[in-house]
Order: sequence, then C-alpha cells, then structure tokens
Amino acid sequence: MDVIPSIDLLQGNAVRLQHGDFALLTTYGDPEAVLDALDVPRGSRLHVVDLEGSRSGRPAEVEAVRRLARRDLRVQVGGGVRSVADARTWIDAGAEKVVVGTVAADAPEVLRAIVDDLGAERVIAAVDVRDGVVRVAGWERDARASLAEVLARVEALGIGEALVTDIRKDGALRGPSFDLYRSLGTKLRIIASGGVSTLSDIVSLARLGVDCVIGKALLDRRIDLREARARVATPNAIPERIVPCLDVRDGRVVKGVSFANLRDAGDPVECAMRYESEGADELVILDISATDAGKRTALDTVHRVAEALFIPLTVGGGVRSIEDFRALLRAGADRVGINTAAIRDPSLLARCAAEFGVQAVVLSCDAKRVDGRFEAIVRSGKEGSGVDAIEWCQRAEELGAGEILLTSVDRDGTNIGYDVELLRAVSSVLKIGVIASGGAGQLKDFREAIESGGARAVLAASLFHDRKLSIGEVKDYLESEGIPVRR
Amino acid sequence: MSVVLIDSPVANVANIARALRAAGADLLVTKDADAIAGARKLVLPGVGSFIAAMQWLQANAIDDAIKRAVHDGAALLGICVGHQLLFDLSYEMGTTPGLGLVRGEVRKFEGPLPVPQIGWNKVTSSVLPEASYYFVNSYAALDSPHAVARADYGGPFVAAVQNGRVFGVQFHPEKSSKAGLQVLRSFVAWT
Repeated sequence: MDVIPSIDLLQGNAVRLQHGDFALLTTYGDPEAVLDALDVPRGSRLHVVDLEGSRSGRPAEVEAVRRLARRDLRVQVGGGVRSVADARTWIDAGAEKVVVGTVAADAPEVLRAIVDDLGAERVIAAVDVRDGVVRVAGWERDARASLAEVLARVEALGIGEALVTDIRKDGALRGPSFDLYRSLGTKLRIIASGGVSTLSDIVSLARLGVDCVIGKALLDRRIDLREARARVATPNAIPERIVPCLDVRDGRVVKGVSFANLRDAGDPVECAMRYESEGADELVILDISATDAGKRTALDTVHRVAEALFIPLTVGGGVRSIEDFRALLRAGADRVGINTAAIRDPSLLARCAAEFGVQAVVLSCDAKRVDGRFEAIVRSGKEGSGVDAIEWCQRAEELGAGEILLTSVDRDGTNIGYDVELLRAVSSVLKIGVIASGGAGQLKDFREAIESGGARAVLAASLFHDRKLSIGEVKDYLESEGIPVRR
Repeated sequence: MSVVLIDSPVANVANIARALRAAGADLLVTKDADAIAGARKLVLPGVGSFIAAMQWLQANAIDDAIKRAVHDGAALLGICVGHQLLFDLSYEMGTTPGLGLVRGEVRKFEGPLPVPQIGWNKVTSSVLPEASYYFVNSYAALDSPHAVARADYGGPFVAAVQNGRVFGVQFHPEKSSKAGLQVLRSFVAWT
C-alpha cells in the first residue's frame, strides 16, 4: 500500500485548513521548501489540492504545480476541476493525474468527457463524505447522488482510484473513519484522506487494503514518511496480542467493577492453563492484595502459575522496589508492572531497566478523566496523583519502560468498551507498545482498541473469565476484520 | 533423554529447565566445565547482553568446554542470547567474538520498528513447525549460511540456525506455547 504526501496550496503557499474552513488556516510557506524539509523522495506520488480552485471553480495554482511537477514527482492535482479544459490545464502543467471531485459526484457527463479526453488512468475520483452523504463544491452542499451511486459510476467509467475523504476527520488528527472505508464495497483502489495522524492509522488502513494521503500529520512531523512506507510494506508482520488478566488476592482470582465490589472467581493456575490452551498470547496477573502477607501469597501464586504456563507472564501490583521486582522475576514472571511506586520515584523504572533490561519493565498506568484531561491514578485506582497520564507515559518510555499497560479507571469492569481516546493519546506519542485495559465488552471493542487506539495488545479479565467471549472468538473476529493474530 | 542445561547467571534458567522437563528431558543443570565438556546433549541459554554472557563463559572455561563437547559429537541448542553466542561475532558495543560454531554476525535491528522486539513473530522454516514464536531481542543475525528459519522485524533476520549438531533459536521456545515445546521435544528426542 502507498502513503502519499499531500499539500494544499493557497496563493502559492503550502497551507492547511481545518474542517475545510478558510478561517481556520495554517500557513507552512513555499511548497518546494516544504517538500525539501519533509524529505519526500524522488519518484514519489504527491497529492496537491488547489484550494482557491476548489472555491472558485477555476485552476489557480498552475505555476506552483508546474514547479512541483519538474521535481521528479508524480503529481496528482485536485480542486476546482469542473471541465475538460480544467483537467487539461493540470496535465499540461505536468501533473500525472487529475483529481476530479464535484463533477464526479454531480456531473457524470463532464466526468465522462474528462475520461474520454485524458484516459481513465489519468483520473482519480475524489469523493468527500460527511455523515455518509457526498458533499461537493468545496464541501458547501450535498451531491445529488449517493455515495454508492457515485462509486459505481466511477468504476463503470474504468477509473481505477477513488480518494475518499471524511470531512469530519480532515485535519483534526482524530483518526480516519475505518468504518467508512470498510463499508465502501467497491473494486476501486481507495485512497483514504482525513484524520490520518499516526503510524498506527496508516498500518490499520493498509490492513484494509487502503492507501492514504497524509498532510497535516506529515507537516507537523507526527509521521515520518520513510518510516510509514516501511511499515505499510508489511502491515501484518507482527500479530496483535490477546492478553487475559487475572486479578489475584490471597491466592484466588477476584474481579470487581472500577476496582471495587470484589468477588471470588476461581483458581489462578486453572484459569492460566485454560487461557493458554485457548490461545492467549500472554498472561497478566495483577496482585491486588494490600498486606505484606498477601504479597508473600502472591509470590507463591506467581510461582505456581509460572510452573504451569508456557507463554509470557507479566505480573504487577504492589511492586515498590528493585527487590520486589527481582522476587517476582525469580518466582517466574517474565515482566513486571510498576505503578504507584514509579510515580512516587520515577528513577525506579530506570534502575529496574538497567538491572533487568527494558523488556522486563512494564509501566502500569491507571488513567482517569479529570477536568478534561487524563490523570494518573495510584493506589489501585483510589487516589489521584496530580500527574498527567500522557506525559507520565512518555516519561516512562524515556526512563526505560518496555511497554505500557494502560488501564482506564473510568471503564474498568464496565464492559462498555476501551477508552479509545485515551489509548490514541498515549500510543500516538510513544514508540513502545501500549496494552489496552479496562472496558472490553464486545468483539468490536478489541478491534477499535487496536485499529483506532493504536494498542499493540488488548487485555480483558471478567469478559474471558465469565466466558462471555473466548480468546478464540476474539482472534477469529479480529482476523476476519483484517487484523493479524497469532495462530 | 539426558540433557545438560548450562546454569548461566545471565539467563532465565528456571523457565527453560521447566520447559525442557516438560519436553521429556532428564535434566542436569550445571556450570561445571567438565560435566559440560562430557555432555552428549547441551542447552546454552542467555538473555540480555552478549558481552556479559560471553565473558561469563570465558571466565568459567565453559566456552572451551562447549567446543570440546561439540567436537566430540554432542548436540547443542542455543536459546536467545545463547543462540547469538554460537555466531562468529556480535556488534554489540564494538565487536565481540562469539563461539564461532555457526557462520554469521549478530547486529542490532535497524528497521523502523521499536527495539527491543518484544512479542510473537511468525517464523518461516522447512525444519521447525511454521508458527509464531515469542521473541525478546534487540540484536539478531540478519543472514547466515546456516539459517534454517527466518522471520521479519522491519527486515529479515535469522530465527534459527543449524550447523551439523549445533542448533540455535533466536526466540524463546519456553515461552512459545505449543510450538515452542515442540521444538524442545524435537531437540530432546533427536539422535
């Protein structure tokens, strides 16, 4: 799949609009200087939008496009192509392809004339969608035809590619509309546009067989073009992990809602063995006992589970020191999660990473929505720390955490879905992986955590424990939705 | 089948011991150079730093003991950093020579993916069961004439090697569920 850099032009400058609003404008300067700065390689496709053209209905940035086309780039230009003459103007300026929007949706006879004149291979149909309805004329009115009708018409003309933009997502960095791209049901090669703001977005689109243009995220250096292209070359190389979790107290598995109302739920060794045989990729044990006696019991529990388990085992809960960390590794844990103690003394993460390797260090972060931001919560979800959860996770990565186990305190035990916004906010600023935790209730929750949230692993406790879903069902579902899992 | 597991302090010996026993091994866990030199079947584990692991082997004369055992026809299985130690050299912090029992060099991953690799990765092989195995590594051999299994982490790397009776697996068979246990069972049963 391809990742196509995109620049919007206005009065000779590279700019971005938010939600298509000319009042919400960011200027990035001379387009050639911008391409140099972004290190766009020779031979790359380049998507150019003539914003004045899209507003006025006449090509405006002909000179700028002529300069860009001379740079050994395969330029595709859109914005305001309303006639054969407009389309010709761009091809004559050196563009490889013309992106046709409004007339593709609203004037099929003009689209046909453009295809007859240029050839279908030089035409990309652009379809802008808001709430499932095609919008035209610089997003200012509804098209006469439905989305399905427009795509069918484009396909019938022999055009191979359609650029589908979700207007609500454009420039907002909230992630593309995976549901929209899933629902298109067309043989056209689809280029996604709008909301693509993380590497994970690009990988998720590639898994759906969808190319994408990236503008704002590239300009803002949120995405590195070369890295993105390397990732989409093999989007299914690494399977996403399904991670059952056992909350353990006094040698028994327990489960509560939002860290309260605990109830007994069985023997940890039996649970662990069942999960491995069902295909669990890893097991997490969270020790929620508060006392020293409870901690000693937990070590014994970890030891007994490790004896029976041949998948990676991560253990967290009440880890206060290097000695606690070492004791859990000795008991058979492969990785240890640190939560409260690391917030109180962040150097603990660095010391554990130096002693045991970053692969053994998991930052367990419980986050809660407080006054419009995410706050890291300590002491088993009981107490605010005043620390911003997203900044804390970034800091933990620098200190040597190998992965983040990110639990939404608001969602924990509710089964209403992971907090995708939280996951996205954290995963998009980290190189290391995020394990999504808190709120899994149905199959689509697992998909959204990975696809939109950027999680590299999805954790659930009560859902698996109560056999509402099996690990196998989750894997079957994710695979059917194009997300790779271990078999 | 009798197997000698080298009791390296820079390894997760307990987990590997448990998995080898589950795979049918009659296990001796030791760091005694004579016992290692006389073994018919040897397992060399290792995690963390190549240099630290190699220095420990040398300080305890276990590098020579391993080579002697292999020369006398013993079968050897290296796991993770134990697998890396089998190669000619590693570029971890400068260059450090390895045991030289298989051809190739160990390098840091340089692809676009986060390092270390922590997780399951699909292995293609004509020798091992084709499955996903569990990896934890920042370094790997990118190629080797003795490669018998490969995987990809932002670029291809060697997942397993075989040179005569010397085997190495970059992944952790003891953490790779059924497929990993199958690899250990095959080694334990191999004659």
